[in-house]
Amino acid sequence: MSDAAMTDRRGRKYLTAALLALFALALFLFTLFNGLQ
Amino acid sequence: MSDVAHAHGHDDHGHHAHPAGFMRWLTTTNHKDIGSLYLIFALIMLFAAGAMALMIRAELFKPGLQLVHPDFFNQLTTMHGLIMIFGVIMPAFSGFANWQVPLMLGAPDMAFPRMNNWAFWILPVAGVLLMTSFLLPGGAVAGGWTMYPPLYIQGGISYDLTILAVHIMGLSSIMGSINIITTILNMRAPGLTLMKMPLFCWTWLITAYLLIATMPVLAGAVTMLLTDRNFGTHFFNAAGGGDPVMFQHIFWFFAHPEVYILILPAFGIVSQIIPTFARKPLFGYASMVYATASIAILSFIVWAHHMFTVGMPVAAQLFFMFSTMLIAVPTGVKVFNWVATMWRGSMTFETPMLFAIAFVCLFTIGGFSGLVLAIAPVDIQLHDTYYVVAHFHYVLVSGALFSIFAGVYYWLPKWTGHMYNETLGKWHFWLSVIGMNIVFFPMHFLGLAGMPRRIPDYALQFTEFNQIATVGAFIFGFSQLLFLAVVLKTIKGGAKASSKVWEGAEGLEWTVPSPAPYHTFETAPVIK
Repeated sequence: MSDAAMTDRRGRKYLTAALLALFALALFLFTLFNGLQ
Repeated sequence: MSDVAHAHGHDDHGHHAHPAGFMRWLTTTNHKDIGSLYLIFALIMLFAAGAMALMIRAELFKPGLQLVHPDFFNQLTTMHGLIMIFGVIMPAFSGFANWQVPLMLGAPDMAFPRMNNWAFWILPVAGVLLMTSFLLPGGAVAGGWTMYPPLYIQGGISYDLTILAVHIMGLSSIMGSINIITTILNMRAPGLTLMKMPLFCWTWLITAYLLIATMPVLAGAVTMLLTDRNFGTHFFNAAGGGDPVMFQHIFWFFAHPEVYILILPAFGIVSQIIPTFARKPLFGYASMVYATASIAILSFIVWAHHMFTVGMPVAAQLFFMFSTMLIAVPTGVKVFNWVATMWRGSMTFETPMLFAIAFVCLFTIGGFSGLVLAIAPVDIQLHDTYYVVAHFHYVLVSGALFSIFAGVYYWLPKWTGHMYNETLGKWHFWLSVIGMNIVFFPMHFLGLAGMPRRIPDYALQFTEFNQIATVGAFIFGFSQLLFLAVVLKTIKGGAKASSKVWEGAEGLEWTVPSPAPYHTFETAPVIK
């Protein structure tokens, strides 16, 4: 892997983290929503 | 692990001015510092929750009420469980992840160092909330670590504090997991493909996914508990049309994967240690990865085996029974691979290896008793008996806790730069392994004979086995002071450790000096 490719992969860390945080938040809301059913 | 073309271990060049004293630890964003903080926190909580366990066992030495009020006994069992799970095992594994994952991947730090700091420092807040609830009117929570309504709807102010603490600990775990997943996916050194990663990183990657997929569910469940308690909702309140059994379903949808959150990193640690001391590569690396992933996936479809007694259709019982048994297959693959790694290896038996071998033998006992409990008609008989207590302590003490001891002995020389005292380490091992079996093996018989769990008093016929268990508990408990002594002695001094502490050790962490410099891999190593 070239240095540029590694930099590129490390730069995507924010996207990875944002997607994971979004998933966690959605799951929390989904659990609450199911409780309301 | 493939060969390392060149590794970079940098000394601390002092290119950051570090604050001194407490502020250094409060503001640190260094993965090694934060790893140490997690491990210190876990050690303190281990002694707190261990003291509670000894009080429980002292009370149970004889039938009748001896030392503590029954309500305080219930507080002790509840807090022992909550603290051991959320305050000891999980933070300890997070400590290992913080220390080892960047070192193993050739990364300079975790992906989000500031979030890493926050993920740790909210944890002591939760710990204080839990521990101080003993001092509140009505005492600490006494409804069991499972937080079932209606008890958790009816209790006093400490129940609100516990719910808040669980929220905080969950948030800490989610932040930690996002950091670990992002570090593993985005920060690996060039050439280090996923299938070349040390197994410890794989097990933590899968554990982190489990945490992200379950902690929000727990957060949802306890939020509903909180609104039931304080805002007049009736999610779980049968009197208002709610369903307490729904809480059990939601809780165990979190808590069964939680069991694997507590054991998968242990699998990773043991998978690092056994090849080192057998001086052979891990047998079946790829199958270990797939087995770990299989266990994680299966863990989402077995939750109702914890609640067979609530009553469910036979088809549901059969589904949960067989899906639970299915987990034995990938677990068996792992045990087979550990044994196959040792087979005809040039084995030596230093303390980490002793704990790892004890892990393989004793965790397997816990696994087998889990299979027994998976059988629905048997479980209905054994539900809430000491057989269950014996089962999960074989998994969590000789499983999770022993792997933590193994990992500490294995990596302590890398962390401190000093070798630990092998003689004291071996004393700690033998006292722990003997003590642990004396505590928990008789509990199988107590459970089979029908002794219920979570009671301060019991019928006369259970006396002998309880007395044996209590003696074992004190042997096991006090032998942990030896562990504390070994750790403190090693931090203070001792024989100098080389960079490759163990002859058979492989991996990037062994290419940097011991102790590992404050900053490592600022220039990424290249993996061939």
